[in-house]
Amino acid sequence: MSLASQERTLARGLVAPAVLWTLAFFVVPFLAMLALSFAHMEGRKIVQGFDPGNYLRAFGDWSQLKALINSVEITLTVTVISVLLAWPLAAIIAWRVPQRFQRLALLLAVLPFWTSYVVRSYSWLLVLGKNGVINQALMGLGIVAEPLALASTRTATVIGFVHFFVMLLTLTIYANLVQLSPNYARAAQDLGAGRWATFAHVILPLTLPGVITGAFVTFVLCIGDYITPQILGGNTELTLPQLIMLQMGRSGNFPMASALSVILMAVVSLAYAGCSRWLRLDRV
Amino acid sequence: MRILSWVYLCLAYAFVFLPVVVLVVFSFQDGRLPVPPFHGFSLQWYEKILSDTGLMTALWHSALVAFISSALALVMGFLAAHALARVRLPGSVLLRGVLIAPMTVSYLIIALGLLTLFNQTGIKLSLWTAGIGHVVINLPLCFAMAYAAMGDHQKTAERAARDLGATEAQVLWLISAPMLAPALAAAFFLSVTFSWDEFIIAFLLTRFDVTLPVEIWSMLRSGLSPATNAVGSLVFLVSITAVVATEVFVLRRAK
Amino acid sequence: MTQRALTALALLTLATPAFAQDTLNALVWCDHTDPALIAPFEEKYNVKVNLKEFEGTAAGLAILDQSQPGDWDVMVIDSVDVHRAVEAGKLAELPADKLPTADFFPELVMADNNTVDGKTYAVTEKFGYNTTSYDKTKVDPADMEDMAALTSGKYDGKIGIYDYYLPVLGLVALGQGINTADVNADTLPKLQEPLMALRKASKQVSDVVSSQTALATGDVDIIVGGGEWLTAVLAKDNPNLDWTIPKQGGLRWSQSIGVVAGTAKPDLALEFVQYIVSPEGQAALAQSSCYWGMPANQKAGDLLSAEAKAVLRWDQQPDYLKRSQLYPIPDAATDTAMQDMWTAMLNQ
Repeated sequence: MSLASQERTLARGLVAPAVLWTLAFFVVPFLAMLALSFAHMEGRKIVQGFDPGNYLRAFGDWSQLKALINSVEITLTVTVISVLLAWPLAAIIAWRVPQRFQRLALLLAVLPFWTSYVVRSYSWLLVLGKNGVINQALMGLGIVAEPLALASTRTATVIGFVHFFVMLLTLTIYANLVQLSPNYARAAQDLGAGRWATFAHVILPLTLPGVITGAFVTFVLCIGDYITPQILGGNTELTLPQLIMLQMGRSGNFPMASALSVILMAVVSLAYAGCSRWLRLDRV
Repeated sequence: MRILSWVYLCLAYAFVFLPVVVLVVFSFQDGRLPVPPFHGFSLQWYEKILSDTGLMTALWHSALVAFISSALALVMGFLAAHALARVRLPGSVLLRGVLIAPMTVSYLIIALGLLTLFNQTGIKLSLWTAGIGHVVINLPLCFAMAYAAMGDHQKTAERAARDLGATEAQVLWLISAPMLAPALAAAFFLSVTFSWDEFIIAFLLTRFDVTLPVEIWSMLRSGLSPATNAVGSLVFLVSITAVVATEVFVLRRAK
Repeated sequence: MTQRALTALALLTLATPAFAQDTLNALVWCDHTDPALIAPFEEKYNVKVNLKEFEGTAAGLAILDQSQPGDWDVMVIDSVDVHRAVEAGKLAELPADKLPTADFFPELVMADNNTVDGKTYAVTEKFGYNTTSYDKTKVDPADMEDMAALTSGKYDGKIGIYDYYLPVLGLVALGQGINTADVNADTLPKLQEPLMALRKASKQVSDVVSSQTALATGDVDIIVGGGEWLTAVLAKDNPNLDWTIPKQGGLRWSQSIGVVAGTAKPDLALEFVQYIVSPEGQAALAQSSCYWGMPANQKAGDLLSAEAKAVLRWDQQPDYLKRSQLYPIPDAATDTAMQDMWTAMLNQ
């Protein structure tokens, strides 16, 4: 055997465990779920077969379709707000905070990451409640006369999500910004560009791939999340993950839950296709 | 402009810490409900949760699942990254794609897929099945971080070692891994963090032995109580101690 | 290197419990997870009781469907759903003579629900009411005696709905003058409008904890479908919370416990059921941490404190029992239709 082919065999051997694991516990389950999505329930028995009924219901039934629309609306809102809030924070830490304090500043910005996700959402419920901290502050400052109904609404869900994703995006955008060589900005200024022009035409485009990757990760995590809308949304409306869990938990309707999951994945794939030009997931 | 930056920084920190501060403050509530008004300082809830064996067991389970699944993901990811970065295999773009793919799929879907698989093959749900799910979500991360960290100076060092007669295993263990230690440590650390706090996969794929987030969820569904605040605060305290310790002992020394 | 491997191995074996202790697997509602209830049984029989909580009957039956015989030993189920479970072959017969039903409140023996063809499959363990819970400092208690007040516009945005479709749809039916026993495919459409009207007047639809939180924080002042089970646990810290059965009536919920068919431990399972319906078990269950409720066994009253009995309104039970109706018992098709109506209401 030549040295090159020996190398290749060895390489294949090293890659094998990871690939086999992914095939067995990711690809195959997804295919099984896809097959199940074409089954239907009779009473409580699952009947296999090629029946697109679940998909027709998912798009035809308004209350099901609404869940999908809600999810997309909320996710887009959260992604945009989170990026807009996180970018300045990351930039300030990367460029304004003195070098030796930067890691501390970053750590502080993401410290609440380490409270349990479930408990943190529940805390927001208490913070946003009628006699919670925010309402008491607003009333104390005289900004409002009556407490605002913030908890158990879409607003609360968005706030809960934004809180989490601002932390995540600050991390990823910061990592992106510190890699940026200051030479680009210097070169632009040497050529006569003002501060804003340098920012808009040089820095922003250079960091765009990193920002878009972070935004995509935000999109995926947000649209598939069950806990935050469940705890903070007050069931004023349903999101797609909540609908999926309802189908599974309450109705025991696995085929329908599978179909809805496939649809969820299709939406994410669309988002992926949209961003693929900039996405560098292997350098997240 | 400078002042604006500092104001923004302060506001951002205030926003980020708000729920945590409320959480911790009301964990000391001397009363049944963790809502304002704050009645007084009491340690009863911490006592209650520390003596709750269900919670402590769940905490242990979480640590177990996090460490084992992260270790597995790291090893497989590192080996795969090493192989794909070194050798030009046919179809390596496809292989890389397959390995990264789970990153683009929501955890709920991964959990449902595995649940379907386990139901159809009759495999019982347990901490192991949840661990399998956690490896699935962490493997792409470990692979990506290891792959991104590999560079030419490692190739040179490895070639030198091979020339000196080292076996591949020795090269991996004695040369590649130590040179990549920071990236590997970061990958392991991130994986543990994700696994530790992960809810939906653990919720759907365990039966009786559960992890901490699932136990907290059950606690929450059983009633409103400052005990939940106490758990959250305790988890927070333990986590930041670990982070600070890592920062001080591991990362500083590596400098 | 070997040291590390050995420690790892030791940790791994610790993780997979290989206790010599016997176990009992129970599918239950959250009130059974209180250690005060379970610990005495575990100590007496030296067993470990594994508890898994589930939401409604459909969810419980779905779990059983996905399990093998022997996976589960006992199950808690809505009394009105016992027949469904028996028809699906999920419950094992119980020896009626070993159960203390003679000591029960007569209305709670519920032989029609707990027996099929003369064979007993479950025994009632706890009951209570789904009616209207409210904060008596924020609403006019007189209004709460009439369900129509909820959609009158006076309390818009101050109402929360308990997230369980069966009792709430039953309440809506009572509000329309339809008995819960008459809720079927024909009468169900009549509930659509009043349900949506109720939803419009409400702020949220939430589970046990979120409902409690909302009442406690003042986000809502009324919970439809609430009852003593919701407010009793908060009573000490928040004495403003009250509940009542309006003039149109209220719903009575009752839960039964039974042995799962195919259990590998029929004797131990029966012991557990007997423990739960004994006076000691009943007293613990009545006050368990998730939600309170009246014990089916009257003898438990001897073991309850005077305050507990006051919170449970022990003495007013005869009146409540008279004015309350059981949950609707829909057939499979109507059940699906009800769930669909509920989902549509949630997504309004």
